[in-house]
Amino acid sequence: MTESNRPAPRKDQEEFAEEQASLLKITFGPLIWATHFVVCYGLVAVTCAKGWDFFLIRIVLLVLSVGALAGVGLIGRTAWRQWNARETGDFVNRGGHAEDRHHFLGHAAFLLAIISFIGVIFVTLPLLMIGGCR
Amino acid sequence: MKLHDAGLPAPEGPWPPTDAMLAEPVDPELARQQAERLRAAWKTPEGWRYITAVNNTEVGKWYCMTALVFMLLAGVMALIIRLQLAVPENDLIPADRFNQLFTMHGSAMMFLFAVPMFEAVSILLLPGMLGARDMPFPRLSAFGYWCFLIGGIFVIGSILFDAAPRAGWFMYPPLATEDEGPGSDIWLLGLSFIEVASIAAAVELIVGTLKCRPPGMRVNLMPLYAWYVLVVGGMILFAFPPLIAGDFLFELERSFDWPFFDPTRGGDPMLWQHLFWIFGHPEVYIIFLPSIAIAAMIVPTVARRPIFGYSWIVLSAVGTGFLSFGLWVHHMFTTGLPSISLGFFSAASEAVVIPTGIQIFAFLATLMVGRVKMTLPMLWISGALAIFTMGGLTGVMLALAPFDFQAHDTYFVVAHLHYTLFGGMVFPVIAGVYYFFPFIQKKLMSERLGKWAFWLTFCGFNLTFLPMHLTGLWGMPRRVYTYPSGLGWDTLNLISTTGAFAIAAGFAVFVWDLIRPKHRQPQIPRNPWDAGTLEWCHDVPEEAWGVRSIPHITTRYPLWSQPDLVKRIDAGRYYLPDAEEGLRETLVTSVIDARPVQIQRVTGPAWITMWAAGFTGGAFIFPTFHWYPPAIACAVLAICCIIGWLWTATARPPEQDSKDAGLGLRLPTYAAGPSSVGWWAMWITMLGDATAFASLVFGFFFYWTASPDFPPDGAAHADAARVGLAAAALSLSWAATVAARSLNRAGHVGAARAGLVLAPLLGAGGAALLVASVLALEPTSHVYPAILWALAVWIAVHVGAGVIMQLYCLAGSIFGKMTPRHDADIWNVSLFWHFVALSALVACAVMGLAPEAL
Repeated sequence: MTESNRPAPRKDQEEFAEEQASLLKITFGPLIWATHFVVCYGLVAVTCAKGWDFFLIRIVLLVLSVGALAGVGLIGRTAWRQWNARETGDFVNRGGHAEDRHHFLGHAAFLLAIISFIGVIFVTLPLLMIGGCR
Repeated sequence: MKLHDAGLPAPEGPWPPTDAMLAEPVDPELARQQAERLRAAWKTPEGWRYITAVNNTEVGKWYCMTALVFMLLAGVMALIIRLQLAVPENDLIPADRFNQLFTMHGSAMMFLFAVPMFEAVSILLLPGMLGARDMPFPRLSAFGYWCFLIGGIFVIGSILFDAAPRAGWFMYPPLATEDEGPGSDIWLLGLSFIEVASIAAAVELIVGTLKCRPPGMRVNLMPLYAWYVLVVGGMILFAFPPLIAGDFLFELERSFDWPFFDPTRGGDPMLWQHLFWIFGHPEVYIIFLPSIAIAAMIVPTVARRPIFGYSWIVLSAVGTGFLSFGLWVHHMFTTGLPSISLGFFSAASEAVVIPTGIQIFAFLATLMVGRVKMTLPMLWISGALAIFTMGGLTGVMLALAPFDFQAHDTYFVVAHLHYTLFGGMVFPVIAGVYYFFPFIQKKLMSERLGKWAFWLTFCGFNLTFLPMHLTGLWGMPRRVYTYPSGLGWDTLNLISTTGAFAIAAGFAVFVWDLIRPKHRQPQIPRNPWDAGTLEWCHDVPEEAWGVRSIPHITTRYPLWSQPDLVKRIDAGRYYLPDAEEGLRETLVTSVIDARPVQIQRVTGPAWITMWAAGFTGGAFIFPTFHWYPPAIACAVLAICCIIGWLWTATARPPEQDSKDAGLGLRLPTYAAGPSSVGWWAMWITMLGDATAFASLVFGFFFYWTASPDFPPDGAAHADAARVGLAAAALSLSWAATVAARSLNRAGHVGAARAGLVLAPLLGAGGAALLVASVLALEPTSHVYPAILWALAVWIAVHVGAGVIMQLYCLAGSIFGKMTPRHDADIWNVSLFWHFVALSALVACAVMGLAPEAL
């Protein structure tokens, strides 16, 4: 429960400064999921209602899905580096220093990127498995 | 003192405090005097003035008890429903009464119990967990509470006059729009009023979590409850506004016959279903997450170790928050949408299981690796996990569209939703009552009665709802007031009714234990559960100041890991140990790392919040009976009350620019712009407001998608020239406001005042032009002119509010409330105008350009 055995923190490095951090950053992964979801649903709804070319829209949306996955993957990779647990050996980040907060936000963003990645795959599945508007 | 761009002088003095500084003892005589001054400043009003209290501990208690009473009333309605269904072809109550009962049961449980309970519990507990003296806007909490009380009594009281809403708790048109009598109006206006209270609470809780944490409590150290509050507050901001927009359209149809949901004139009932469920599904998680947050506080205490997987729980809270917005159509699987659309929502509904499951596994893991001490709160949490898991599993089944086609609108759904809500909300909240009761009342509840209550409720619950799965699968539709014999439903229904009375007995025991007099009980220990979080440093016997001095926090479980903490809090060693001016103050810290940045004056007891809530109530309630003149009078008086309240109690220039906060730290006493709590509150409110506006614009494009002729051929459009002029005038009004802010800050007070004279004139002119542009259109004839009117009215009302704010700043400048240095008001008003200008431009684009483009 105490933090006695941990190595001395690398204090006050610029990358740990409060100004560099933002709570919004951890939501970037889920935001990509949300955007992908809304675009898929909205575009398909309009396509079906207005009788646009479904095949074309489907290709467009599949390309978009690959893009979304790549985006989430990139965010996940950055977040993984920010967490940096392999180097620090600290997996729970419950210390009281700026560095701990920095790693924690990385970890949270990384986990959210994973869930967003899975979410995007889930939402892409209907595009692959269902062929038309009926 | 140097002034930052944001208008905040820099703090001066050592930060963070060193161990030596903290170890230095406080002079006991000084500490005693400080405590006395603090006690006087935070004294709760006595006698009949007690109701003017605004302290979070009082308002939170009233809020909880009111929600509990509404819940019990809704529970009695459920018992009557169950009695009617106990045997086939029963004639205990007529069909119409039955419709009112199930509508009111659902509406009251959702809007008068489940959501307000989150706000109530959070207002009550959050400041304690954060070591804050109070919420940043105590009077706003009180205002929200009084709105809730008035609206709640109005809505639930209607059942006594046989005038209750009766179209089901989701009020589907055309049934609800065509319904005779005031029932639907009561539902709409009463609940819109309560939604205002919810959004007020969300603003309060988000700002409280972000800006009022104790010094040093970085985001990785926040109690998990605070994380959930943050997520749920954010969800309220995006979930409630679509319903408010829906209510706005619905009431325009009910009162003025504007055909938004009438297909014969181009409207579409599906739009209501979308707006309702964009609200309705996230709402389920708005109810569930804060309750499970209580479990996240109880589980580590019971396991006597820190939570296992803190980041994973943060992930699950944030992840669930997002995913829950992609589920709404699973309530609409049988409305004939394209199957690929259903596929998206089905997929997202399955995906949300992952974060939800993660948090439950994190709890189980904590219990597995800890040394569990089985307490009463833990008993209720265990029951919650068992029941919720079952509800979750039937949820996975219902999220599959083909299964839902079969089970839709049957008792299977009734069973599913009660399993999720009892397991996800009722049981954890009761666990929380047992757990936090010593914190709230400084007394303990009975172990023996608690066990009785648990086993009665738990067994009764399963007896009631487990058979309902089968009743539903055997074809019994929900909401029928009776059924014929011989379909195999008779015995199952009788069992359900028996179980319902067992639940009622369990609740009776619980409520008795809650309210029975306990003054003969000896004084309780300060931390009866040996918990590690900050709220358990509370004072026993009770003190109204919240915390004697605001501690420096460096760990997640400070009572376990910071050994001298409580002693130093009590000695007044930490921050803000004094109230020299005899005024209430709390500490404002930075968002990420909780550096102390400001001492914030908070407001004290007042009658004005009650007047404001009463008149706001009149403005919502009179239209139910189509009494418009008194409604308008009430609205005007409510605005006057609110202006008076703000003028006298907020953002007043302080007597000195900075003051000693303790431990050698000198902090500014006034902040403007992004570093002030008021600016954050405005920003968060406007985010919700923008969501409501976006829902209206969504409505416009929904009509375009859903119908082949929108706008209809040959329809009259909004006058494009007037729309263009309105856009220009409103943009200029915005520019004048922003310019006035800069000029005022630069010391050109005269020029700033000129800007503040020009801005409202331009604003009023712009609003008039916008309304004039649709004046020739007949909104009752077709949905196209109706939605143009709705957009124009929406913008005009917002500009009206904006004009009042500009004039408020002008008056502030003239009467010395607003100076170049003390300019928080105009910062907040320009922020409001950023949003107004943006939405006005979008509205003008839709009204003026869309007819050409579509």
